[in-house]
Amino acid sequence: MVYLYDGTFEGVLSGIYVMFHQKCPVDAARLMHKDRYQYGIFDEVVLVETQVEEAGKVASSIIETFGQEAFRRIGYAYLSEDEAFGTILFKCLKRAYKLGGMAFENLSDPDILALYKCFNAVARESHRMLGLLRFMELEKGVYYAPFDPTYDLLGLMVPHFTERLNDQVWVIHDIKRRKAAFYNGHEVHFGELDPLDTMSLSAREHDYQKMWQGYFEHIAIDARKNPKLHRQMMPKKYWKYLVEKLH
Amino acid sequence: MDALDKLTILADAAKYDVSCSSSGSDRKAVKGMLGNAAPPGICHSFSEDGRCISLLKILFTNKCIYDCAYCVNRASNGDMPRAEFTPDEVVAITINFYRRNYIEGLFLSSGVVKNPNHTMELLVDVVKKLREVERFNGYIHLKGIPGADQRLIDRAGRYVDRMSINIELPTTQSLRLLAPEKSRSEMIAPMGYIKEQIAEYKALSKRFQNTPSFVPAGQSTQLIVGATQEVDLKIIKISEALYNRMALKRVYYSAYVPVGKTEIATPNQLNLLRREHRIYQADWLLRFYGFKADEILTREEPNLDMEVDPKCQWALRNMHLFPMEINRVPFEALLRIPGIGNVTARRIMASRRFGPLNFDSLIKMGVVMKRAKYFITCSGQVFGGIDLEPMKLKQQLIDAPKSQTSQMSMFELYPGQFSGGGASYGLSV
Ligand code: SF4
Repeated sequence: MVYLYDGTFEGVLSGIYVMFHQKCPVDAARLMHKDRYQYGIFDEVVLVETQVEEAGKVASSIIETFGQEAFRRIGYAYLSEDEAFGTILFKCLKRAYKLGGMAFENLSDPDILALYKCFNAVARESHRMLGLLRFMELEKGVYYAPFDPTYDLLGLMVPHFTERLNDQVWVIHDIKRRKAAFYNGHEVHFGELDPLDTMSLSAREHDYQKMWQGYFEHIAIDARKNPKLHRQMMPKKYWKYLVEKLH
Repeated sequence: MDALDKLTILADAAKYDVSCSSSGSDRKAVKGMLGNAAPPGICHSFSEDGRCISLLKILFTNKCIYDCAYCVNRASNGDMPRAEFTPDEVVAITINFYRRNYIEGLFLSSGVVKNPNHTMELLVDVVKKLREVERFNGYIHLKGIPGADQRLIDRAGRYVDRMSINIELPTTQSLRLLAPEKSRSEMIAPMGYIKEQIAEYKALSKRFQNTPSFVPAGQSTQLIVGATQEVDLKIIKISEALYNRMALKRVYYSAYVPVGKTEIATPNQLNLLRREHRIYQADWLLRFYGFKADEILTREEPNLDMEVDPKCQWALRNMHLFPMEINRVPFEALLRIPGIGNVTARRIMASRRFGPLNFDSLIKMGVVMKRAKYFITCSGQVFGGIDLEPMKLKQQLIDAPKSQTSQMSMFELYPGQFSGGGASYGLSV
């Protein structure tokens, strides 16, 4: 049996609700994003309707049984956009309700571990990106940060920067997913945003970019240069938006 | 000279200072102020030698009246380009880098211009402007200049997150030899003073809500390894004393690299880097694994083994404590097993509650079986056929001599160390 949800977080939780309700056996059921599912000839398919209320029930049950942290873990894992996320979540929850309260700590269990891995991949990139995001100052003092993360991190960047750069007007732009977070100095709005064709930088932007490049070049100890380690710590896929890697 | 030129010279002059993390301060964001600081440090970039770039690490100036033999900025080192910032330049660069998310904060150090007090005043001016004029609320680590007045240390302490005064050399004797203008007491006295102030402010803040902070992320220091003859036991005993008696948060170690003509005998660089690495591992055992210096090393065995890590070295000397039963021993004991780190030990404790663990799940949780297998049982079972005779065991623990590859990787790690000349090691005050 294959259950299809609409790709939203509420959708996947609605799917869980239905599957638990129908007492789906753990090994015979899958829960898939409907746009990514490839129809198999013997598949029996159920289209799950997204029901905010039922999704809410699932969420409260998870939080009550396993705690806030477990729910956060699920939210992060969702952002991994892993093809199998729905199924992984279903199996993990099936197992977890058997194990009880501390179940999410039991990483020796393969189903719990599978979800943990999705979560961990997102958490790691998210932490990394808090450091690697680069803002440039546009005219009129707007700071603009384009990025291209592997996972859907936009929502995870926002709380950090609304605190840290709270006195500054900024935009964080996920180029690939064509969406952005806009902060006006008081509150954040999310919206769609296509890649920008032209940008006019502030008068001093160029100077500070040059200084950062100069600093980057000189802070390395020449005698210990190690391109392999360098690329391992800061993979090439992130260089596109790193001022210090553009020359 | 424009700010860009100064920046490159003064970054060059600061880069050998090893401490750079922004850890330990919990500076909550405040509406209308720029920045915050969170305990897990953030790396903003990685330099081409693979090190994390977190703070803007610069010297205020590399013009120095002192002549410490191990330092690239020493007065007698003739062919160094010299530069000096103005406080406003440092402030502008810090703020503008921070707003672009290049950095986590500032790490400011300096050579000694004119005299210690004059230098310290300039540094205080920078941090004061950052906090009071720019309302900067990010991380600041400031070097204290040995010999500067207590009142200047005191003023600086109110603005910064971390302060450090570098010990540099392990004994008074070697200090006299290599840094004749500095005295031990000039380093220890301000450390003691900062420690007392931190404690006092903490006590006050428990009673009064609006107590200002004083060096909330604590103090650190730096020791040079290999410029003088001390054994490893001596070094980690000093570190232990600094952690326990001075309440230091971190001691950093820096393998000495000769700069220009000096009196210092040139040590073997490859061995020295390995030694630095082992000392860091031993330091780790002191701070996070509940070891004492006298357990890690002994009078009979006063130096760290270059072939196995310090925990293995300790375990081999204490085979009577092994094997330990993974499903039963307490957390503190798990921490002492080679191949089991802090995170793994915590995972084991958590998972153990659901029933006994087997070797498979241990591997999944991150136990490094290659090392751990000689020291554990799992529900009474040992892992494969193993020989527990210490000398043979040590051979097993030494990474299989993939002779060529292991040499290769050292070359890759530190290519310049072998080509001679290149490295100039400098340390600021
Ligand atoms: S260690 Fe400090 S005081 Fe000594 S020469 Fe270097 S910059 Fe000057």
